[in-house]
Amino acid sequence: MMTSRGVLSPGVIKELQAIVGEENATDDVAICASYSRDQHWHFVPPRNPACVVRPASKEEVRAVLMLANKEKIPVVPYSTGINVRGLAIPVHDGSILLDLGRMNRILEINPEMKTATVEPGVTFGMLLEQTRKYKLRPAFPDAPLTVSVLVNYYLRGIYQTAAADGHDHTISYEMVLPNGETLRTGSRALSSMPYFRYGVGPDFAGLLSAHPGTCGVVTELTAKLYRLYDHRQEYFIGFESVKDSTRLIYNLMHDELATSIRLVDNQSWLRGICGTFDYPYEELPKFVLCVLVEGLPGLFEAKDKLVRAHIEESGGRVLELPEAFKRRFEEESLGGAELSCMVFHLRGNYHCIGLYGPLTLAARYYELHEHTALEVGIPGDHVYFYLDPIYNFHGQLCYVELDIFYDGSDPRFGEKLREYNRRQFHRLLDAGIYGWFRPYAGIIEPTTERIGYLAEVWKKFLRIVDPNGIMNPGKLF
Amino acid sequence: MKREEILSAIYHCVKCKLCSIVSFHPNEEWLPLCPSGQFYGYQAFYAPGKMEIFREILEGEISEPSEGLLKAVYACTLCGACYEKCKQVSSVEIRLPELFEEMRHELAVKGWALDAHRGIVEKIRETRNAYGERYEYKYRYRYKRGDREGAESPGGDADADVLYYIGCTARYRVPEIADAMLSILNKLGIRYQLMEDEWCCGSVLLRTGQVEAAKELMEHNVEEIRRSGAKRIVFTCPGCLKTFRQNYPDMGVELLHSTEFLARMHIKVDDKLDINVAYHDPCHLGRDLGIYEEPRSLLAEVAHIKQMKREREQAWCCGSGGGVKSAYDDFALWCATERLAEAREAGAEALVSACPFCKRNLREAAEIEGKGAGLGVYDIVELVNRCLKEGGARR
Repeated sequence: MMTSRGVLSPGVIKELQAIVGEENATDDVAICASYSRDQHWHFVPPRNPACVVRPASKEEVRAVLMLANKEKIPVVPYSTGINVRGLAIPVHDGSILLDLGRMNRILEINPEMKTATVEPGVTFGMLLEQTRKYKLRPAFPDAPLTVSVLVNYYLRGIYQTAAADGHDHTISYEMVLPNGETLRTGSRALSSMPYFRYGVGPDFAGLLSAHPGTCGVVTELTAKLYRLYDHRQEYFIGFESVKDSTRLIYNLMHDELATSIRLVDNQSWLRGICGTFDYPYEELPKFVLCVLVEGLPGLFEAKDKLVRAHIEESGGRVLELPEAFKRRFEEESLGGAELSCMVFHLRGNYHCIGLYGPLTLAARYYELHEHTALEVGIPGDHVYFYLDPIYNFHGQLCYVELDIFYDGSDPRFGEKLREYNRRQFHRLLDAGIYGWFRPYAGIIEPTTERIGYLAEVWKKFLRIVDPNGIMNPGKLF
Repeated sequence: MKREEILSAIYHCVKCKLCSIVSFHPNEEWLPLCPSGQFYGYQAFYAPGKMEIFREILEGEISEPSEGLLKAVYACTLCGACYEKCKQVSSVEIRLPELFEEMRHELAVKGWALDAHRGIVEKIRETRNAYGERYEYKYRYRYKRGDREGAESPGGDADADVLYYIGCTARYRVPEIADAMLSILNKLGIRYQLMEDEWCCGSVLLRTGQVEAAKELMEHNVEEIRRSGAKRIVFTCPGCLKTFRQNYPDMGVELLHSTEFLARMHIKVDDKLDINVAYHDPCHLGRDLGIYEEPRSLLAEVAHIKQMKREREQAWCCGSGGGVKSAYDDFALWCATERLAEAREAGAEALVSACPFCKRNLREAAEIEGKGAGLGVYDIVELVNRCLKEGGARR
């Protein structure tokens, strides 16, 4: 497998070095090679950028974008280096990889407003280390806590570990466009108070978000923070099928009783949530609902009592798991995913389709997942599943993940996965989903076929903000 | 390692980069773990990025030794912290330090080794030590009891069961470690011998990928040791010990680090030193050989230990291993400065290690910081020796 790269003229490299400093821009082939591939390489082939540029400020970002725009050079934004689905792998030769890792300042933690403002290089670990001093936390994805806060929120990819956090964690942000202009969304456009999303006219934060670096570069983002409580209780309830568990999930969500509610299979995510491979998980029921209750004294006890009543009438089996598992469930749900990431390494690589849909279709999604996997020759014991419901549960909103953990070094398995995707995207769209976890090449094509004129509007919008098509071209259209 | 094994390992990295930080839970502190990634910043200096570079080398895409290539490959202390952290969050074992040594071998075979590392081969060829020194280390101790009182002890007792392998660094750069070890042996009345013609163990060559050049050294040392009749070899250098344990043929001889050896002696000291110290785990001793307890128990006998935030499997490297000290001294010293700051934060007045490489680099960094900084740097054997009286007792 040969990796393409292309080259930029020495003059351009010199100009980039003049902007960010000589040591922060390079076309060295080995340095570029280190950015050539992510975990999605069975779908997005490796490609080296022509150079890597590491700006330290928004002014430097602006100068780099303006130069790239003038020279019509593709730019691939990149934050902390934990990339999935090939979103930060260049499609075109001669691309600039814009590594934003040096922009790692927490610009503000405002405990009164319950917000944090961060640069793209700030990770969830870095942020929690600071917010916990105020008994606050960010909303965590089930991604390693080494990932970028800004990018996860901006890409709208929060498949949350805490249902109570809701869905939208972004309040406002600042984006530098290829022409050097700066867009500020929400109240940020009007004042130095970036604390309200809907400040001016339409929801521009929503319009510009969930673009994988295809509009501009987000240099600052203000996000919501959530409370940490001292009183907590955890439950693990076993079910033999997805369908059997949905009544309990519905009741807990409807009454808004639990902070974290996660339905996982006993062979993959449960191991991660419990933080060890060393347990006879196969002896547990096939699906386990992990529930975490927390709150202020008084409220906590009341909620806990109601949760226990719901569990009792659910028909599920309350599992007596070691105390350490409970602690890890707490840590991983309210403190960022670390040990739970061990599932990514179950066999060395992972593939997943993440989607939003109603709880009413959860069992159908699982059925399709299993069916399509077996149909293309993926063994049943490689088929995994998890579901996180999301408050306030309008539309019975859930994040659903259809996982396959596999040996990444086996190219034949890669072919099976590609076939799985070809069939599954259509089947899920036919079954009915609210949307994909985030758009990316491969999943976007069958989707835009179905969204009518909206696809045209979307493309025209991108041409307005990026007329030369330099921002991560090929990742959407 | 075979090419298929290497590529399989590379394909098993999902690039979560958790290998670059200390375990976050339960303390919820963001602490870097990868020195080269932290210092240089580009992905090429973190384990996942380095693996991509190796893939492109093997697939023939990288065909020249660019400056970035050499730096990414060689400005890594091979400390193995990434491997330990990966093991914790993964069921797939990717032996990263081995992989990176293999990458260096691949480069050396292509003739792309660093000049600084090639220079070490030359020095060893000429002098049999890694520093090219032509003088002999001379132990300054004189027997203070028994029938040889007053006599110099340059080579110990030729028929002793215990052989102390000094190693290049303790001979030529931090002789106080060798002095202290020999003094302890004498104080405890342990009969020992030194090798008549000790050559470099070959560690630095193996770690820098120059595997062929190490063979002659290993053959010589094996021959000398067999001739010595020693039953137990004691090392103050964990790098030498690791090399003997993992790269040398089995000679039917017990191989022990000084701290293992002395912990077995159950040394008794009358007066502990009135000093707060932090213990720095040397990478070869801890992560490579799994020796964590003995140094701590020994140190606890002679000083008050203060715990640092990054210890044991997740200790921050001192910065001098893997050929870094000889090629990228600025980076090596930065690592050491970080470690000194951590020791100071822990409330330590001194940083104590059990490795001559660590001591040399940490001491150098402490000297650059200046005397005002006030942090002493020692090897454990120095403190033990200080506490041990003549005719030292064992418990």
